[in-house]
Amino acid sequence: MILAWKAALIIFTGLISLEIGAAEAAEKTVFPAPGGQETILSIHGATDLAAMDPLIRDFQELSPTVTVEYNEYLTNELFNRAASECDAKQGTMDLVLSSSADHMVKLVNDGCALNYRSAMTRRLPSWTRWRDEVFGFTFEPAVIVYNRDLVPSEDVRRTRAELIDLLRTKPEQYNGKIGSFDISQSGVGYLFASYDAHGTTTFGRLLEAFGRAGLVAGCCTTDLVSDLASGRLAIGYNLIGSYAVGAVRRGAHLAIVIPRDYTVVLSRVVFIPRFSRNPVSAFRFLDYLLSERGQKKSREASFFFSFEGTLPEEVDGPLWLASSGLLRPITIGPELLAVQDRAKRQRFLSEWRRSTHIEPEDR
Amino acid sequence: MIRPGRSLYSRIILVIAIVFGAGSLALGTAAWFYARLAADDAYDRLLVGAALQIAESIYAQEGTISVDPPVSAFETLSLSTNDRIFYKVLDPHGAVLTGYDDLAAAAANTGSHEPLISDSEYRGFPVRVAVVGRLVSDPVAPGWAHVVVAQTREARISLARDLTLKALLLVFAMTSLAFMGILFAVRRALEPLTRVERELRSRDPKDLTPLDVEIPREIQTLVSTINRFMDRLSGRIALMQRFIADAAHQIRTPLAGLASQVDLLTEETRPERKEQQLIRVRERTAELGRLTNQLLSHAMIIHRAEVAEFEAIDLTALARQTLINAVPLSLDRDVDIAFNDPPEPVLMRGDAVSLREALSNLIHNALKHGATTRLEVRVLAEGDAAVIEVVDDGPGIPVSEWQRVREPFHTQSATGSGLGLAIAGDVVRAHGGELCFRERSEEGFAVILRFKRLNEAPQLPTAGEAS
Repeated sequence: MILAWKAALIIFTGLISLEIGAAEAAEKTVFPAPGGQETILSIHGATDLAAMDPLIRDFQELSPTVTVEYNEYLTNELFNRAASECDAKQGTMDLVLSSSADHMVKLVNDGCALNYRSAMTRRLPSWTRWRDEVFGFTFEPAVIVYNRDLVPSEDVRRTRAELIDLLRTKPEQYNGKIGSFDISQSGVGYLFASYDAHGTTTFGRLLEAFGRAGLVAGCCTTDLVSDLASGRLAIGYNLIGSYAVGAVRRGAHLAIVIPRDYTVVLSRVVFIPRFSRNPVSAFRFLDYLLSERGQKKSREASFFFSFEGTLPEEVDGPLWLASSGLLRPITIGPELLAVQDRAKRQRFLSEWRRSTHIEPEDR
Repeated sequence: MIRPGRSLYSRIILVIAIVFGAGSLALGTAAWFYARLAADDAYDRLLVGAALQIAESIYAQEGTISVDPPVSAFETLSLSTNDRIFYKVLDPHGAVLTGYDDLAAAAANTGSHEPLISDSEYRGFPVRVAVVGRLVSDPVAPGWAHVVVAQTREARISLARDLTLKALLLVFAMTSLAFMGILFAVRRALEPLTRVERELRSRDPKDLTPLDVEIPREIQTLVSTINRFMDRLSGRIALMQRFIADAAHQIRTPLAGLASQVDLLTEETRPERKEQQLIRVRERTAELGRLTNQLLSHAMIIHRAEVAEFEAIDLTALARQTLINAVPLSLDRDVDIAFNDPPEPVLMRGDAVSLREALSNLIHNALKHGATTRLEVRVLAEGDAAVIEVVDDGPGIPVSEWQRVREPFHTQSATGSGLGLAIAGDVVRAHGGELCFRERSEEGFAVILRFKRLNEAPQLPTAGEAS
């Protein structure tokens, strides 16, 4: 019975994607309702399935009659898909979550989201919500990751200036061994980079140093972290802390460093599209994510960091990051529209390419 | 009878509530308008500020015009926390450099630094739009680039609502304060009335002296009316007491006489004397009857003077009719009766019944005490006055007696009550006229009634009805 349902669903989504004409490669996973299916909640996210899996299963313990479909995208693809659904005024997405907050803010600004207020959403700090339409549910610092086998502990640097210094003094050791996001492909990479560029002077020097050292650009944190774990890369800059902690917990030999000059902190955001077909389940899932149970699960199994808790033990940094004074949170609000500005983006990308000598891939 | 009307209190409350309600409504509307203006003014500055910051970042380089919208511009706009932001930047040729392509630039403001602000709608949201120009002085493509920034109105509306609400709260507070003040004031203002009421209630029923309470000017008329009324009442009561005393005295004397006559009559045995005494008894009885009639008529005149409503009267017709009715068919002597009427009708306002009574009393008096051979009644108009004269050729009243005879019960004659002139005097007084005498001359002695004449001819009932 459930199998037949799944087949029907796959055919259905196939039709929809034909109709929209987008060739986005979304990987779809279905979590059948454990208590007999009554509704389907279609979640579209730019977050690793591995991180979402425990959350979805935990949610299904509370709402056993909801079948959850999880569709995984790259951040830019997710944005394009969500924007085109919003313009077409019809949707297959019930809930969208992504680490690139700027994309989500733009969608919300353009009127693509549903408004929702509950006791849970009201509890959020003001920088992680906007208009009661978009909510941040995680707390993830951008970190520097070192491969312990390739980088001796005396070479583990804790500020950007020290990192530049390291690349300058030991080029032979680290050339071609440093990796970061390809910001033209990764939304969250672009977001981190533009936060680095805005308001600090070190970023230009950092880019130059990266360019000289032959920066390896990766599409996503997962790829970069596995390259670091396998030894293809020695240093990873601006990686999402939670993925690195996940890799360490799976056995990778990595050092995770919170930059001590300033730490950009991202909150993974979620919104419910205006044309969601199942907003009730979506609201319930959102409330679950923000609830104490959801936050606990998230801290334990998915994202490891949290607003109030201490740093995971694998991370080198101040124990109470939130009150350390290093924090530069990415405020979820209309300011992020500046990050999304087309002219600004072009300028920034060309600057980045000029410095890092990385040519755009065919996308 | 007192009809219970709506309470003064509730009437005042109703009027005040209506005035305050309408006032609050008007003030609320005005407050809303002003608040909107103020909110727009405040947030327009942010909007224009952000647009100027973006315009500032437009630059030309080797013939290409680029823009780099600063983050601070968006931070400025995000001061209105919940509002959506839409914008676009146009180069001098109108090509979109960045932002929302389909955002309509309101009016094309060509070549001006002055920001242009207007209301519009974008993506179904009502927005406030600011357009600022910036002169790009590139040698290749000089001209005005434009920045269009639009923002939804949520913060403005919530500010305006907040301001209005606070203004309304003040209005409401002021209104309720004023309302309570007025209620208190009204209660205080009505207190003197209660005082008058208490004073009246606690009075001895026989006490008709004027009220002596401290009262505000506004109800002085009421209290002085009450006082006037009591004054009149006490005057009437005094009059009636005097009248009753006089009448009792007047009736007692002839009654005592009559009783002794009857005693004499019963003891008399001689038939011729008996006959004589019987005549005397009849005369006395007739005398008593006339006296009683006159007393009653005097009482009626006094009463009518207080209550009768005046109407237009043709004095000529009234006088003629009265003369005809007053002259008895038989008289003990020959008297010429004459009526002298004027060529034009003489009108006045008055009470026909009491006037007739007054005149007939005068005629009776003249026939009884005066006229030896002649009695004449004249009606004439003397300028503004309507005059009736009763003239006879009798001895008349000496000048020294003129004042006295106007008061009741003062007669020289043994048979008269002396009421006739008093009745006439009362009637004339009630009509605002005067009673006077003319000394005996060749013509004779005249009693003159002088009234105010009614000049314009009103709708007059036909003369016959005056009877």
